[in-house]
Amino acid sequence: MANIIVAQNLTLSYERDEEIIKNASFTIKKGEFVFITGPSGSGKSTLLKSFYGNIKPQSGTLLMGGLNMSSIKKPKLQELRRHLGIIFQDYKLINEWTVERNVVLPLWIAGYSQEIQRTQAKRLLHHVKLTGKEHKYPLELSGGEQQRVGVARALSKNPFLILADEPTGNLDDYSSNVIWDLLENACQQLETTVVVVTHKIPTVFNIPYRHFTIDELGDIYEVH
Amino acid sequence: MRSIKSHLSLIFPMVAILMGLEFFIAFNRTTKGYEESLKDSYAMLVVAKDEMSIDDFKAWDKHIYKVAEIEKSKIIDKVDLPFKSSDISNIDKDMPNFYSIKLNKYLNNKELEQVKKNILKSDRVTRVETFDTLHNSNYGLFSSIKLSFQTFILFMTIIGFFLIVKQMEVWNFMHSERMKVMDIFGASLFLRSKALIVMAIVDAIISAIIASIVFYTIQNSWIKGNHIAILEDNIDGLFSINDVITLSFASIIIVLVAVFLVVINVKEE
Repeated sequence: MANIIVAQNLTLSYERDEEIIKNASFTIKKGEFVFITGPSGSGKSTLLKSFYGNIKPQSGTLLMGGLNMSSIKKPKLQELRRHLGIIFQDYKLINEWTVERNVVLPLWIAGYSQEIQRTQAKRLLHHVKLTGKEHKYPLELSGGEQQRVGVARALSKNPFLILADEPTGNLDDYSSNVIWDLLENACQQLETTVVVVTHKIPTVFNIPYRHFTIDELGDIYEVH
Repeated sequence: MRSIKSHLSLIFPMVAILMGLEFFIAFNRTTKGYEESLKDSYAMLVVAKDEMSIDDFKAWDKHIYKVAEIEKSKIIDKVDLPFKSSDISNIDKDMPNFYSIKLNKYLNNKELEQVKKNILKSDRVTRVETFDTLHNSNYGLFSSIKLSFQTFILFMTIIGFFLIVKQMEVWNFMHSERMKVMDIFGASLFLRSKALIVMAIVDAIISAIIASIVFYTIQNSWIKGNHIAILEDNIDGLFSINDVITLSFASIIIVLVAVFLVVINVKEE
């Protein structure tokens, strides 16, 4: 299967700060479900940010879908991001936009017609069990509902890779289960690669997965 | 209500800038004729040993644009001399050549002195008269009015621009989160700033329309109603339909620069 993420001796750091991730080497293939765990401040989110080009590697190589993230130019990076689905712990929804508009943001950016956007929004909101809330605004929803909108947005353009940063942190069990089911389905049925950064792997998980952990020194190991 | 306030906060300073610009255009247009007449009524006198051409003068100073030789006979006629006609012909032969010189613009005293110096560098020129006292009194009044007016407009423009920048900071705060999210999902710079651009262009056009209406009203109601002669004489120079285009264009450029400044200052998280 094709390599989606290839890291070789990858070192990440913020400007002038000490190294957060040190000499990491791993490969993630198409259709794999990967958990990345580790203590707070170990660099899990930093690693995830490097996958969508928010942080450039300090040294080593990071290839995302064959693109070298050390030397990637802004237009190519924008193109890469248009093919990713990203889920954040703090949702990052646009509060002045309706739920429907938030869900189809990636489709709007890609220039899809209004009709396709509406159809896709209806389908996705049904999947995340938010039918009837199309015209509500994010601040009118609960935290769990907002995160489900975030998941629907991440899935809206059938991305080749979903990156999720603590997608179920602080959520109730119902919303957490809905989100895990959606991510499992995307991985199993659409062969979407899913990388999830989390404190804790769910106790019930129905598909095979890989598990990386980052220790306090910034070293990455594959556990499972 | 908050949205209206946000728009007005941009429209008011923009109208102030546009009115300043329109005042500047109108002032220059209405005073151009006066400046031309000042320039045309002024001439320098040059006395030279030899006959000179306009090219000789132009080679000495770039401000010289017209040269007229003053006929010697006319000078002699004006001078009451108790000589016989044969003596007069000898005087005519020995007299230097007199030239009246017109300049291409109205110069200040310092510039006039420089022109004089440039001409006197030639051995063929014996004397230059600038009549600077008359020149200075006319020019001084005119230029001081012009300068104080331009300073006022500049001051108004700076204040207006600072107010627009302040409003842009508010917009920056209001829109940066949305633009950051759109950037994460791969939106282009244009797409990220589209809402801001549309909002800013609408406000710019509204401002241009308001400024145009104000000037149209001044031109067609206020001046005609108040019978102010100096303004009535130059009424056509106050406002023309082309100014609407100039004001719209200027306001759109100003807001696009402001939007660009906002957008490039939005940093990724």
